[in-house]
Amino acid sequence: MNAIEARDLSKTFRVKQKEKGMAGSLKAVFRPKLQEIRAVDQISFSVEEGEMLAFIGPNGAGKSTTIKMLTGILFPDEGQVEVLGIDPVKNRRKLAYEIGTVFGQKEQLWTHLTPYDNFRFFGAIYDIPNSDIETRIRELADTFDLGSFLNTPVRNLSLGQRIRCEITASLIHKPRVLFLDEPTIGLDPVVKESIRELIMRMNTELHTTVFLTSHDVGDIEKLCRRIIIVNGGRIVLDDSMEHLKSHYLHRKHKENAQPSEVTLESIITEIYKAQSLQHPEAPEPGMEV
Amino acid sequence: MSTVVKNQLRVCLLSVKYNIMRAMVNRVAFLMNILFMILNNASFIIQWLILLGLKPEIGGYTLREIMLFWGLAASSYGLANIFFARAFSLPNLIISGKLDSFLVQPKSVLLSVITSATASSAIGDFLYGLAIICAFCFSVQRLLLFLLFAVTGAVIITAFAVLMGSLSFWFVKAEVFGSNMVNSTINFSTYPDGIFDGAARFLLYQVIPVGMAIYRPVHVMISFDLTELLMVLGYAVLLSAAAAFLFYRGLRRYSSSNLMEARI
Repeated sequence: MNAIEARDLSKTFRVKQKEKGMAGSLKAVFRPKLQEIRAVDQISFSVEEGEMLAFIGPNGAGKSTTIKMLTGILFPDEGQVEVLGIDPVKNRRKLAYEIGTVFGQKEQLWTHLTPYDNFRFFGAIYDIPNSDIETRIRELADTFDLGSFLNTPVRNLSLGQRIRCEITASLIHKPRVLFLDEPTIGLDPVVKESIRELIMRMNTELHTTVFLTSHDVGDIEKLCRRIIIVNGGRIVLDDSMEHLKSHYLHRKHKENAQPSEVTLESIITEIYKAQSLQHPEAPEPGMEV
Repeated sequence: MSTVVKNQLRVCLLSVKYNIMRAMVNRVAFLMNILFMILNNASFIIQWLILLGLKPEIGGYTLREIMLFWGLAASSYGLANIFFARAFSLPNLIISGKLDSFLVQPKSVLLSVITSATASSAIGDFLYGLAIICAFCFSVQRLLLFLLFAVTGAVIITAFAVLMGSLSFWFVKAEVFGSNMVNSTINFSTYPDGIFDGAARFLLYQVIPVGMAIYRPVHVMISFDLTELLMVLGYAVLLSAAAAFLFYRGLRRYSSSNLMEARI
């Protein structure tokens, strides 16, 4: 069964343009110029239940916009989305009970509260009875080794501890699909590794579907068996990690390159470079005006 | 009460509780905020005492009645900012794309957003209003009416703030217009309606909701009238429904952002 199904998904933003200097600002007051940015353009793909998918692309490629449409944050302009058979546009609340989200750049936890109080709050959000939430917190704290800082205010935690708590908070309601947007951003290699182990364990033990966007090749290589690369709002590659590597290895062999030179990072960089000639980086979407 | 409503209420109250806990992290600042808000409000009594010393009635109201306007305005505004403070900064959340974390939760986005902050000084506003009513015009019936109207006033002011704030989904520049409209509601609410006539009176009763949030309730507290009470209740419900409708229509245009942010 497919956990995620996207068909011809599109999203366009209108971004304000302004000429330089004060004269440009004055002109923009009377004659504002708007540029349409097609952030996501007719994207179609599906993800099987229990699969771990890397959804990557250069900055401005449309990754975050896609993830936000899948989670019900943004409304698509065209196309259809179903996550676990639920339409995020029509049934946002119902879907929210089934999915977890971690945005590495956006903190969901209350920083003045301890992880314990935060988990209690998230428990209330997902209608978990008080008696059950205690058991669940104990379970997660043991699994993810949070015991030593469970009662320390979040603002006093290290970045690695905070991200572990963010991921734990997103798992409090046992989601079937987990969306991770740059979960290891800014973390040191040891913490990155422990986060990856945590995600891996969730997938094997709970059969959680993982939809991952990351610029960290290590995340992709160690976690995912399938990769989708987007650029200019379109899918430019959808392949298994194994096939992608063997294909490039084969090609490089023909060019007499050493196998050690063919790393996932070099493959991705090559694809990005080839694509950047066709699709220069798009500005990040701003407020529609 | 249905389970959905009960669970939503539980989250809202927990959110307000955590907001107050956050404000109490700095104990001295928390208490000073409350105390100075009470003192700040109290300073206006002197202004009215001087004015009413020159003329016993202003706009048809004596000191006791004018204090009712002040007390109700302070408590309504106070309650709105204790429970729904984020409604007053809605445009900023919309324009900066800070609604994401609320949109991935299985609860009402609007209620989760507006209850996600508390202004600690608003506790001073609420207490000040209560003290005024007890000091100047106490009766059990009036106190009960006062508490009811403080709630309807808070709901009306919040709904108006949401209505104005939601315009930011369509126009970025609506932020300034909306905040001026909300501020004018608060400013006008501390003056008795008898001093306004013509276009100003029309504006206060028909455009900005100060008439329904403060003026009519004060009339009911001075001389009880069931019809006027029901009108205020009905208006609070209607305005809330209109605010929710506009907010959710606007939410379809929400475009998020990739700015780094923390929930502080």
